[in-house]
Amino acid sequence: MAEASDSVRCAGGRAPDVFSTEGWVPMNEYGEDEVDFVIVGTGAGGAPLAAKLAEAGFSVIAMDAGPFWRPLSDFASDEMHQSKLYWTDERIVDGENPIHMGANNSGRSVGGSTVHFAMVSLRFRPEHFKTRTKLGYGVDWPIDWQEMWDYYREVEQELHISGPVRYPWGPKRPRYPLRPHPLNAAAHHLVRGAEGLGIDWTETPLATLSAPVGKAHPCVYRGFCVTGCSTNAKQSALVTWIPRALKAGAEIRDLAMVGKIECNARGRASGVHYHRNGEWHFQKARNVVVAGYAVETPRLLLNSANGDHPEGLANSSGLLGKNLMVQLNQAAWGQAEEEIRSYKAPPSLAITEHWNYCDEGKDYFGGWTYMSQGPLPTKWATSLAGGRKLWGRPLLEEMERANHSVGLKMVGEVLPHEDNRVTLSDETDQHGLRIPRITFSLRDNEKAMIRHALDFMQSSLEASGARDIWKETDDTCHLGGTARMGDDPATSVVNADCRSWDIPNLWVCDGSVFPTVGGVNPSLTIQAIACRTADRIVEMGRKGEL
Amino acid sequence: MEHSNVTVASSRLMAAGAAILGTSVFADSGLEHYRGSFRNPGMVLPIATSAIAVPLNMRRSMGSAARPGLGRAVDLVASIVGMAGFGFHLRNIGREPGGFRLINLFYKAPLGAPGAMVLTGLLGRASRRLQLGRPSPFTAKAFGAITVAGLVGTVAEAGLLHFRGAFHNPAMWLPLAVPPLASLSFARDLALGQPTGATRMLLGATAGLGLVGSAFHAYGIARNMGGWRNWRQNILAGPPLPAPPSFTGLAIAALGVMLLLPKRRRHD
Repeated sequence: MAEASDSVRCAGGRAPDVFSTEGWVPMNEYGEDEVDFVIVGTGAGGAPLAAKLAEAGFSVIAMDAGPFWRPLSDFASDEMHQSKLYWTDERIVDGENPIHMGANNSGRSVGGSTVHFAMVSLRFRPEHFKTRTKLGYGVDWPIDWQEMWDYYREVEQELHISGPVRYPWGPKRPRYPLRPHPLNAAAHHLVRGAEGLGIDWTETPLATLSAPVGKAHPCVYRGFCVTGCSTNAKQSALVTWIPRALKAGAEIRDLAMVGKIECNARGRASGVHYHRNGEWHFQKARNVVVAGYAVETPRLLLNSANGDHPEGLANSSGLLGKNLMVQLNQAAWGQAEEEIRSYKAPPSLAITEHWNYCDEGKDYFGGWTYMSQGPLPTKWATSLAGGRKLWGRPLLEEMERANHSVGLKMVGEVLPHEDNRVTLSDETDQHGLRIPRITFSLRDNEKAMIRHALDFMQSSLEASGARDIWKETDDTCHLGGTARMGDDPATSVVNADCRSWDIPNLWVCDGSVFPTVGGVNPSLTIQAIACRTADRIVEMGRKGEL
Repeated sequence: MEHSNVTVASSRLMAAGAAILGTSVFADSGLEHYRGSFRNPGMVLPIATSAIAVPLNMRRSMGSAARPGLGRAVDLVASIVGMAGFGFHLRNIGREPGGFRLINLFYKAPLGAPGAMVLTGLLGRASRRLQLGRPSPFTAKAFGAITVAGLVGTVAEAGLLHFRGAFHNPAMWLPLAVPPLASLSFARDLALGQPTGATRMLLGATAGLGLVGSAFHAYGIARNMGGWRNWRQNILAGPPLPAPPSFTGLAIAALGVMLLLPKRRRHD
């Protein structure tokens, strides 16, 4: 059987059946006919949109630069092999704190980076949708938290999130569809630390099954979550929204790299140029949705510049590519007397959102959370070599006691700043497309947050009895913000419906629309926004406003 | 003569119930304590005790009254091991990070399970008592109360663990529907001192449900990664195969108590 990464699998009226080792499901094919929607990217933004728009009766083609995997037969228990899930094309990273691109901020698969995400499925704190008004920093979202609360619910139901029976923070939320997973030894350290420091903790809401659902098995606690789940317990877009989209009549084009969006004389988008099977094709569409995440989305829009839009599509505000945000991902690690084997089970089973909801005692803006950790061996060796600068015998000795290592890692809010941005480099990739230059620097606010978080996590580890504590000070995760949504065309790229201000049939639907990133992992919010966008499109279609 | 026949039949049903319950304890504690690697040597006790209690009660259910001294000792030991087990399970949960939070009630040592060992001893004792002659109405009611308490405890255990499984299969509601109705109906019969057909039917359904439950659990095991081909792992990871027949054992014992209740309506 051919590797999915080498050859197109979605063809001949069929697509891979992700619940089998080599089976197929029927798939609609539109050929070169004009379709209602071409969606570029099939991750947390594109996949829900494809499913819901197809179910509403629109003709939909969703393209992804990556392959269409069958997790049961394509995923190995091997960290190096599974790096095939990351987007590792050439990029230029600079700024004072160049972002390490790949594992925890981009994906190249049908299903996008949800195929290798850590499954942490959190809701924003309500005030984080209006940080400017409520908390005095950042910018407000054009969407109200109460509306988002309903869409969060929709996504939680679709992904069968397993979570605590009662969530300790924020307004009341409905019960998670499935119960929490048992805690591992690493999570126990977070629990003991939090109880020692007198703050709340809970079981992390996770997108991996604690009970069988359909053809998907419950989690077997294999621990390879962030390198691709080979049992389908993980509720990635690949095994949830994509099968739903196919069933509803959407076409998926795998290994299809979109290089340019074409605009017609009336200034509207008319389709996309994409590279597949070794040649360039053109797909006509009445609407184009860009869902490539916060680097590839602005890259495509910038690369699509034309005479009418010399600075890139949807860029009349000049904000396209600007306000790039990551999230802080610093960690504190220590050694436990007892065996931890933290790589067993999902990596982040216990969490505290205390510092997302508590505003006192901070000398900075923004919120953060921290979770228990479970790095796989290669990732751990990389942290020790890169983050702790160990090499040779000290590295070997530290690796020998890896089973006793235990740690806590933050996900922290980075504030939007126009100098943190994605632009185009003059270098080109294998398709002749200009590659992105990603410029990022941490500012004083982030540095203050990191100091506070590292000290606090260290205190927690001390309270839970860990020794030899050290701090990993240089890591980031997730992306957001390069095509922000807003109420004003002058200060945003898209409106609350993810529709670009400049070109009415051009939409952006992924993490790049985030005006602020909050202190939680973004995947649930991206999918909630996508569900809302789909509902809005259907409504606008009904009213003839498309 | 009729009375003593009824008493003998009641005794045999109580013993049969104890034997089924004991078998459930034997297999369930065997699997779960194996999964727990027998970390505490005491974890072999329920297996050893039920291994003796089951054949004893099987013989009683066939009418044997041999070696009453040994029988008394086994019944006593079963109850003590069960109560000690409850203590151990309580300690196991209490010293876990998070203590008595729901997560530990879900996944640590099940609080209700050792109760089945206690009940095996009590039902065995009741069966033995009935071998000696017809009990007073009060004693009969006390035996009934034991089975009701057992059913209530088993319902609570199934409820907690099926809640843990988020009732992902609607059939998971059945043990929360049928046995509680049977218990209520039986408790009413006990209070009024007269058996009803409805109770007999509901207890019969509860007994059947115990066996159906094992079939559902076998299906549940098949829904884990690798299904029955990977039985060595999935029998431990999936729903407990030997647990549901606890309902069968308790319902059969309750049917035995039913025989002791006077059949004719009293007009006084």
